[in-house]
Amino acid sequence: MLSLWLNRFLTDRIARSHETSLPRVVAGKRGNADVLVAIDAAAENLGLSPGLSLAQARAMHPAIDVVPEDAEADTALLEKIADWCLRYTPLVACDGRDGLLLDIGGCAHLYGGEDALVTDLSTRLEAAGFAFSIAIAGTIGAAWAAARFGDPGRYDDGEERALLSPLPLSALRIAPATAASLARVGLKRIGDIVDLPRAPLTARFGADLMRQLDRALGHEHEPLTPRLPVAPYVAEQRFAEPIAREEDVLAVTERLAAQLKTALERHGDGARRIELTLFRTDGAVRRIAAGTSRPLRDPQEIRALFVERLAALADALDPGFGFDMARLAVLTAEQCPPEQIGIGGAEDAAEIGRMIDHLSARLGGGRVRRLVARQSHIPELAAVAAPAQTVDNDNGWAAFRRHRAEADLAPRPLRLLAQPEPIEAIAEVPDGPPLRFVWRRAHHQIVAAEGPERIEGVWWSEHGGHPSGNLARDYFRVEDKNGLRFWLFRAGLYRELMPGMPPPAWYVHGTCA
Amino acid sequence: MIEELRQRLQAFERPPGLEDDPGMVPLGIETVDRILGGGLARGALHEIAAAGEAHVPTAAGFVAGVAALSCAARFPQAGRGNKSVVWIAEDMTVAESGALHGPGLIDIGLAPERLVMVAAGHRRDLLWALEEALRCRSVGVVIGELRGGALDTVAVRRLSLAAAESGALAVLLRAAPEGDASTAATRWIVSAAPSTPSPYGLGAPCLTAQLMRNRRGTVGTWTIEWSESDERFILAAHAQPVAQPVPHRPHRKIA
Repeated sequence: MLSLWLNRFLTDRIARSHETSLPRVVAGKRGNADVLVAIDAAAENLGLSPGLSLAQARAMHPAIDVVPEDAEADTALLEKIADWCLRYTPLVACDGRDGLLLDIGGCAHLYGGEDALVTDLSTRLEAAGFAFSIAIAGTIGAAWAAARFGDPGRYDDGEERALLSPLPLSALRIAPATAASLARVGLKRIGDIVDLPRAPLTARFGADLMRQLDRALGHEHEPLTPRLPVAPYVAEQRFAEPIAREEDVLAVTERLAAQLKTALERHGDGARRIELTLFRTDGAVRRIAAGTSRPLRDPQEIRALFVERLAALADALDPGFGFDMARLAVLTAEQCPPEQIGIGGAEDAAEIGRMIDHLSARLGGGRVRRLVARQSHIPELAAVAAPAQTVDNDNGWAAFRRHRAEADLAPRPLRLLAQPEPIEAIAEVPDGPPLRFVWRRAHHQIVAAEGPERIEGVWWSEHGGHPSGNLARDYFRVEDKNGLRFWLFRAGLYRELMPGMPPPAWYVHGTCA
Repeated sequence: MIEELRQRLQAFERPPGLEDDPGMVPLGIETVDRILGGGLARGALHEIAAAGEAHVPTAAGFVAGVAALSCAARFPQAGRGNKSVVWIAEDMTVAESGALHGPGLIDIGLAPERLVMVAAGHRRDLLWALEEALRCRSVGVVIGELRGGALDTVAVRRLSLAAAESGALAVLLRAAPEGDASTAATRWIVSAAPSTPSPYGLGAPCLTAQLMRNRRGTVGTWTIEWSESDERFILAAHAQPVAQPVPHRPHRKIA
């Protein structure tokens, strides 16, 4: 476990963009007072310390550069650094607001050992202008304590006790109040409590103290919550020379996909969502994801998907001075029946799936849709368009046809408006079809009508999902004297009309061929 | 003699690499199909325009009917039946006339399972999606629905070539007839027509189809209706006034 602490993260962030010769402090509100939140090395030499009130600091040293705290920018930058650290391991977690935790178990050999990894990380962080301390230890707690309170460096498994014993109790990541009350009884270092009887300590200071101690010593497992979900399949490649051309990126994608294919085949899986992560030499990280409509393994098809994705990027892929690492990860995998691959009866489905993937990659998944039948008697809910990549073969139409044949429903319009549009209609009271109506400023005189087909509202909802409310609707198919056909309805019934209520209103809901 | 020359020309028009004729989609009306040389040709681009904004639903119905015919496998010539239909529409057309409704498609005879709908934000995306869909071998019909405005002739030419290469039926559905040049195999103007009165409510939907351009024969105007029982187009049964109404010319004396 590697703990990275950016000692002066808040001031370093500002120093990256604004040069100053004055000592710099970051001030923020704590309660009602402006206090120093972070200070840089020059300010520390002046004798300032975090927690001091801003007024006092100014009185002591008028010539300091005060920057207001910006927690959002801090978090954003820390997350960027976390993304950048994905080059070492997929298990990266943000730790507080100025630290990171990297689970480098099993990855360090890729860099030629833990020392080489730390050297690489240090060089890059120094170049970026951050002060830092790095500690590697067997447990999260020990690495954390060593980075902040002890001697940063590398500790082997089993050295936790020796490492922790001389450190103050606050290195155990316990509440400051607990540490203060322990200090009051003379317990100041971790070594003071390691061998004490546990029950009285727990009774007096709470269970948290013992749990943190157990975790730091490795008696209890502490889970790491990575910032990003860990992909089940990952392939990556580092380059000796950075690559910048789009063709090279695509060629690398195909090569990585070929590596993934072997792993996917072994488990009988196919990729449903793939992400390409490109690490730029200057630390920027670009992530590009593509979805598929069916489990996919073929490297050439994966490459073709990313051709579309790169073409559709709103801001072109900016390589800067080039990418020095690429990673292809399968974010979602799905069992992929073997008969789907290869030539067979399902060839048509595979072809259509490929086309849907291409269209979705370029235009966006929500723009490529298929119709799905739902079990509802409300027309706009009975048939909905869902993103084609999410629709599987059974989309409910067989059941819909059976139901329709049984219920003998009236014909439906070819197109349905997104919202029923109100019209001015003249109709026979109480429940005749309209004689003429005005829709979108055009007059239509009706010569033939069919209906009504009554569709009741739903009792479990206040609004049936449209502006006319949850009223019973009487639908009519009508034809005007030019032969244009409309699907109209009247929301509400005249017999339910109470004094003072507006009369039932008419809407047009669709157009028929 | 002319027939022979025509066949030789057709052989030239066919792109290399496509050995078998992709076939036709017969509309089901003998007179129309004869003029078209068997029906709407697959592997070609057809342009179907509504007579005006108000007639867009009718034109869409005509196109849906053609797509249904293309999918119906019982026509012997329909070699590429049983394939998917891709309907690509600009966002504005969906806002204007609504999205396709599955149960309504069933009424026309087009299975909603076959349909893939694509919404394009720009004309550029629409044309790209059309070409992409035509490249897929399992697509039988590709429909591009667009609002008014002239089309780039180069884009239309590209679409014609893509259609010829794929063997699918490509249809451009336009909101209003445009006078722009086109390489489409046929151009139609479709408007709604009053249907035959029926004692049981509304009769079969009726439309006037005007064939404006036909690369394989003459042109004409027909009033046709969709027969739900036969699932094909038939000529409207009742006599519509085919002749123009007599113009009112008060200054001309009738001798």
